[in-house]
Amino acid sequence: MLLVDGVHKSFGAVKAVQGISFELQPGQVAGLLGPNGAGKTTTIRMITGFFLPDQGRVLIGGFDTIDDPQRAHTRLGYLPENTPLYPEMRVSDYLNFRAKLFGMDRRARKNAVSHVLSRCWLKEVQTRRISKLSKGFRQRVGLAAALLHNPPVLVLDEPANGLDPSQIRETRQLVRELASDRTMLMSSHILPEVEKICDRVIIVAAGKVKADGAPSQLIRDAGDQGTYLVQSKGGRPGDDDRFSRIMTTVPYVQTARRTNPDRAGEVMDWTHWVIVSRRGAPDLREAIAHAAMQNGIMLRELRTDAVTLERVFLRLVEDADRPAAPTDAEAAPAAPTDSGAAS
Amino acid sequence: MTGAWAIATRELSAYFRQPAGWIIIALYLLLTGVVFSLSILVPGEPASLRTFFSLSGWLLLPVAPAISMRLISDELRSGTIEPLLTSPLSGASLILGKFTGAWLFLLAMLIPTGAYIAVLFRVSQPAPDVGALITGYSSLILVAGLYLSIGTLASSFTSNSTLAFMMTLFVILGLMFIEAAYANVPQFLRPAVAALMLRPRVDDFARGVIDTGHVIFFVTGTAWFLLLSVASVELRRWR
Repeated sequence: MLLVDGVHKSFGAVKAVQGISFELQPGQVAGLLGPNGAGKTTTIRMITGFFLPDQGRVLIGGFDTIDDPQRAHTRLGYLPENTPLYPEMRVSDYLNFRAKLFGMDRRARKNAVSHVLSRCWLKEVQTRRISKLSKGFRQRVGLAAALLHNPPVLVLDEPANGLDPSQIRETRQLVRELASDRTMLMSSHILPEVEKICDRVIIVAAGKVKADGAPSQLIRDAGDQGTYLVQSKGGRPGDDDRFSRIMTTVPYVQTARRTNPDRAGEVMDWTHWVIVSRRGAPDLREAIAHAAMQNGIMLRELRTDAVTLERVFLRLVEDADRPAAPTDAEAAPAAPTDSGAAS
Repeated sequence: MTGAWAIATRELSAYFRQPAGWIIIALYLLLTGVVFSLSILVPGEPASLRTFFSLSGWLLLPVAPAISMRLISDELRSGTIEPLLTSPLSGASLILGKFTGAWLFLLAMLIPTGAYIAVLFRVSQPAPDVGALITGYSSLILVAGLYLSIGTLASSFTSNSTLAFMMTLFVILGLMFIEAAYANVPQFLRPAVAALMLRPRVDDFARGVIDTGHVIFFVTGTAWFLLLSVASVELRRWR
């Protein structure tokens, strides 16, 4: 239903998107996640045809956004980030205007506007000017506009951006309802929202896809690297270094670091630690407790930290931020060619 | 065309929903009222709006850029360009709709000037020449179209409507003052400069003369600026 095939986009020297590909099947609801500047909005704008890719292609319902933009656009509903609307217009007038852009005749417009007004819970504000609406209602107006022509593909860019918690809950409920009968791609910073709504997650960083799969699958894949939350008695000079040194001698322990180096929120010299094990490590709780006991370190908490989508996301993003290690080819000195010159 | 008409009607109603639209109308009527009172409604002078039409290029100078300055730049500033360009609407329909909406607003702005004609018919003997009035208004509409198309192009370049206003103003001023440059340009360039002069064309219309060449000049000029505007909007997708 939606195919994104190796799209690239650069703005001057900045490579915003570098070969992103994925395909959404009918009825699939996918979340596009990534830190600011990862290329999410640029990818979405290429899908919607607002930007055209430098390379690659986007097909919506089988229609290319470059070769056949009109037919591709009629199969797409789009809610841009920050929901741009005309503040001077009334809600029903705006929806009527949007319906005209999709070439609907008078009767079809009337039916479509009435349908989306009730579907997006906008009946009570239909005669109000958009400038007088709360942000939550404006978001619903944007969603209603995206749904007017009953598109099979819906793309939402940060639909919960700037909303308060109750508005986020309302929007989530609405998005869940909308997701029941169409293909949907939504970008968001609010990972628990994505986890609740989407059956697939695509994580992008530095313009590339870093992970793609069901949230449960991504969590399972990341689960073999254990994380332990520990509280130890400390507070004296050198205690932190000592604890960290002892813990990293425990087999399979990769890192042991303070969760809050400025000691904010810590009580009575109880220091909070996060200990991360290597991939494939067994349960290290006993080994950590044993090492602490042997070295006379008092513990009052030792528990495993459940892997969440947020943790998976942060790990992938942090990996992407790190400078790449030189590959074997890059590290090796250039081999002389037959002509004697290094290529 | 449905999309273009939807854009045009939305644009037209937006002018009347905002104070700026009414201020522009008031400004134009003030300027034309001064010209009518001081230069046309003079005892002993023939009953004609010729001065009004001859000065139309100048009278529209502050007004047309004010009407066109926010056509695309406001959409760029507020982000509403995104839902427009991701709908089945083509760039050409968007520009045509925007231009038509602005032009219709300008035509609506001319309606109150009908009062000047009514006054002339009431107080003058002999009555004004209807043919000259028709050609005069035709020139006004054509000049307005040219100015608005320049403004549409300027507005497509920037999200800053003040900057769009200034760009439009200076391009129109350039067209107005090209006449002054005529004597100072090399001989071989003079035909080209003469072809770009607005005043002789407007004066012909004001005298009641309809020259097909003048009509073609304004229509093709307007079409060129609109085509450039379409290209400017479409190129944004490739940035």
